[in-house]
Amino acid sequence: MTVVPAQQTGGGGSSGLYDVLELVLDRGLVIDAFVRVSLVGIEILKIDVRVVVASVDTYLRFAEACNRLDLESGPNKSPGLPEIVGEVTESGARGKSKGALSGAAQTISDAFQQARDEHSGETESRPRARKSTASRRKEEQE
Amino acid sequence: MSTYVYGITAAAHPSLPEGMGGVGDPPCPVRVITEGELSAVVSEAPEGLRPKRRDLLAHQNVLAEAGGGGCVLPMRFGSVAPDDQTVAGVLAERADHYLERLRTLDGRVEYNVKASHIEDAVLHRVMSENADLRALAESNRQSGGGSYESRLQLGEMVAAAVQAREAEDAVEVERALEPKAAAVSVGPESTGWLANLSFLVDRAEAEKFIAEVDRLRNSHPHLDVRINGPLPPYSFVEPGPSEPAGTIAGGAEGGQE
Repeated sequence: MTVVPAQQTGGGGSSGLYDVLELVLDRGLVIDAFVRVSLVGIEILKIDVRVVVASVDTYLRFAEACNRLDLESGPNKSPGLPEIVGEVTESGARGKSKGALSGAAQTISDAFQQARDEHSGETESRPRARKSTASRRKEEQE
Repeated sequence: MSTYVYGITAAAHPSLPEGMGGVGDPPCPVRVITEGELSAVVSEAPEGLRPKRRDLLAHQNVLAEAGGGGCVLPMRFGSVAPDDQTVAGVLAERADHYLERLRTLDGRVEYNVKASHIEDAVLHRVMSENADLRALAESNRQSGGGSYESRLQLGEMVAAAVQAREAEDAVEVERALEPKAAAVSVGPESTGWLANLSFLVDRAEAEKFIAEVDRLRNSHPHLDVRINGPLPPYSFVEPGPSEPAGTIAGGAEGGQE
């Protein structure tokens, strides 16, 4: 069982400051009799855009990422997620110990590789690339 | 000379950080103004104070130091009173309110939790959940990546699926952690995260809360969950509509395990 250490940042750390900035600036007591310094021109508030923004750029980026992901079902429809999870559990495979999702992802990936190998229309290098993507993802989650 | 105010605490607070460096360059030393049962943690207000990293950190550090020894009601950054008398006057005028807040928040700290999607992982997830997306991606691939229009179409469908996932995950994060907290405050939405939640947690329960966050991480590997704390209770100084007052009262009565 993997134990992820709590990423606790004390109040003082600058990485902590970055994540609690809106608390320091927008929460806390406000008292009418006091004035507040102007927040105009604050540059520190720039935040990475990680959430989906509806734009052509986002769509194209996602489309590209999905091609990269290699999660397509091919001629044989991939089973739905619950079935995959069931399959992983039944076989008592490595997926079991690392959470249903990563296990499922691994399984899908393996299934594709098998399918590809059977079709044998693929070069050797692409399945291998897929494999390494899957195991890298597995490592990230451990 | 005007007075910068960091926070309000009980006059009985055992260890206020007097003399510690506060905002300003060079740092203005922290002082304490006491009026009746309340004290304010203050310093001189430097001329031309702006929300610079150094000063934001100083504000946060003074509060962290003071909060380590007892409950402190944190001021929003940049609160400046014309003079010490005004601060004392506010303490006297609103004493009942501040004392009530200090009692309610005593022994409790804020943990801020932000969650965002790990892109590859969430794409995996939405693709594995949606046969239409997989079919479209496959047809694009078979035609050498697909036309501009079909890539756009795929991307738009994926974006919609990911957005739906964001909304679901925001609910799941709150639902998973709420039972371990005395109160929840929903923070401002932003493009940087799908969930921004502040939890009021008993110090004695903090380990359980953090363990719950770890469980959430393990059960939702497509989420990047960041926890910050213990913090002064920024989000709980004023009872507001986002704060379930009932839960606070329940926690205060020792209703927790």
